[in-house]
Amino acid sequence: MPGSPLLARRLWITALIVPPLAFVALFVVYPIISAFAYAFFQWHGLARGEFVGFANFYKVLFTQPYADWTANAFLHNVLVFFALMVLQNGVGFLLAYCLWRELPGAAFHRVAVFLPVVLSTIIVGFLWKLFLHPLFGVVNISLRGTGLGGLAQPWLGQDTTALWALIIANAWHMVGFPTLVFLAGMQRIPGEILDAVRMETESEWVKISKVVWPLVAPSATVVFTLLFVGSFNWFELPYIMAGVDGSPHKATDVLGLYFYRTAFGDQSGSGQDFGAGSALAVLIFLFIAIVAGFITFRLRAREIQI
Amino acid sequence: MARMTLSGIKKSFGTVDVLHGIDLEIADKEFIVFVGPSGCGKSTLLRLIAGLDTISGGEFRIEDRPMNEVAPSRRGIAMVFQSYALYPHMDVYENMAFGVRLMGLDRSEIDKRIDEASKMLKLDPLLKRKPRELSGGQRQRVAIGRALVRKPKVLLLDEPLSNLDAALRSDVRLEIARLHREIGGTTIYVTHDQVEAMTLADRIVVMNNGRVEQFGSPRELYERPANTFVATFIGSPRMALLDVARDGDSLGLAGSGSLKLPRLPGSEERELVLGVRPDALSVNTDTSAAGFRGTVVYTEYLGENTYVYVRLGDGTLISVRGSAGVDLRPDTPVVVGVAPEAVHYFSRSTRERLAA
Repeated sequence: MPGSPLLARRLWITALIVPPLAFVALFVVYPIISAFAYAFFQWHGLARGEFVGFANFYKVLFTQPYADWTANAFLHNVLVFFALMVLQNGVGFLLAYCLWRELPGAAFHRVAVFLPVVLSTIIVGFLWKLFLHPLFGVVNISLRGTGLGGLAQPWLGQDTTALWALIIANAWHMVGFPTLVFLAGMQRIPGEILDAVRMETESEWVKISKVVWPLVAPSATVVFTLLFVGSFNWFELPYIMAGVDGSPHKATDVLGLYFYRTAFGDQSGSGQDFGAGSALAVLIFLFIAIVAGFITFRLRAREIQI
Repeated sequence: MARMTLSGIKKSFGTVDVLHGIDLEIADKEFIVFVGPSGCGKSTLLRLIAGLDTISGGEFRIEDRPMNEVAPSRRGIAMVFQSYALYPHMDVYENMAFGVRLMGLDRSEIDKRIDEASKMLKLDPLLKRKPRELSGGQRQRVAIGRALVRKPKVLLLDEPLSNLDAALRSDVRLEIARLHREIGGTTIYVTHDQVEAMTLADRIVVMNNGRVEQFGSPRELYERPANTFVATFIGSPRMALLDVARDGDSLGLAGSGSLKLPRLPGSEERELVLGVRPDALSVNTDTSAAGFRGTVVYTEYLGENTYVYVRLGDGTLISVRGSAGVDLRPDTPVVVGVAPEAVHYFSRSTRERLAA
């Protein structure tokens, strides 16, 4: 029946749903599916060649030098994930606890801790490149100024420190996010529960480990999952600070950079292999999707109702 | 053994003074109730005793040992919170075991104590349940159990009945009285309900505006209230307070005539406050009888008796307890008689009790 309010409502809902759905299908679903498809073909530049089955996957996983590069980049991602788990989520939790217990200066630090999060990664990348500059970076100048000049290093220029420098820059940038989430989780804990613990112990460690952490853990699920996805998709910060080659000597190479180089060529534009790149993209996607799904599923089961 | 001494206890939050010097001497094994209207400082005082807030001035001792700087967990005090504050992620057993484990007791002793407490509180079938799977009354018992297994010298209860429904409240009240008798420690109980205070306490601390108005047994408070605040706070319906002027041996009430009463206070003050509870008043429709004249506003029939609300000549509304048969229409002129042996006198200026 034309003009029926129910029909009008349905049309209205359809009109709202279709455009975003079409957008997602075109720019998210289609590229993912085509990347899956591309991974099974031989490529000559950007021209598609013959179907090669799993040859591209075999190539990036088991033939040299790809196998070593893949392993190198993957291990760096693993290191980044665990390091950020401690430096970003761990520190975030402690900061949240200090803010929650209203240590002196809490009002100022609540803002200060979150401020870098709103900065663009580009800005943070260039900022930290300046901070870490071997000659006039604020880090080395401070070290020299406090008599610790012996510790001054070309942080981004040597294999042993470059990846850690990126990790610390990332932790500095993003620590406000887990802090915010954990703080929100802590603020849900009723004050009398904290009082009840204080009646039984004065140890901050017992309070945190036996009561605060278990009650905040539900909010950790989202933080853990996002950190995992972020660590294995890590691209912008290393791209800005270390370049597409993961310099020096691939010491900062991670899957994102490695995939980009493989698919689109390195700085000189050479070595482009779209098939191998697509195979890497598919592997990264599957790895992240499966593990993130597993983390979410397992941690959700442990959530507690307050 | 837990004798407690509070001397000159003060507490301020920022520039706001909440407690203005509290002095109390609490004997071992006493059941003490802090009672007063909301905002009077009773919960604050309890939190200072627990150690959850710091004392701003004065000294608090348990058994002559200064406690001001001692951490809450080392005072030998256990507390039952208004919201129960059970740990939501632990089951009933773990909730009770948590504190005693931290005290470093061995497993068999912990199990023995939990077994004892759960039998006493009928918690044995619930030990494996999480707090969210318990009813309000059950949570309450777990909270008490968690306090008892620590075998505290002092047990603090902060409005423990306020989250229970009316039917459960009187049961739990009896339960708490029984537990106190069986365990025999010192108990401090905070409430704003004077019935709870009267039924449970050995001695009551009546508080108002951060001060102790009176500290005494329920009988003392009821029979010899120290001031008009205690007089009206204890007893329900409240005591009527009449602003009377003394003229020789009779008391005059503006617009209601005067009444001769024996044993007027020895003080020379002319302006007095006469306090009479509803059960020491009577209504008389014979307007020539002795008493204060007034008119009936309305009557409340409560089954075994009836409360008659009377507006006196100076505008004061008082309630008078009458027998069940009393049935007076509004606007009936009456005379309110006073039983002379049950009256209280207070100074009009200080509001303090005047000795007869």
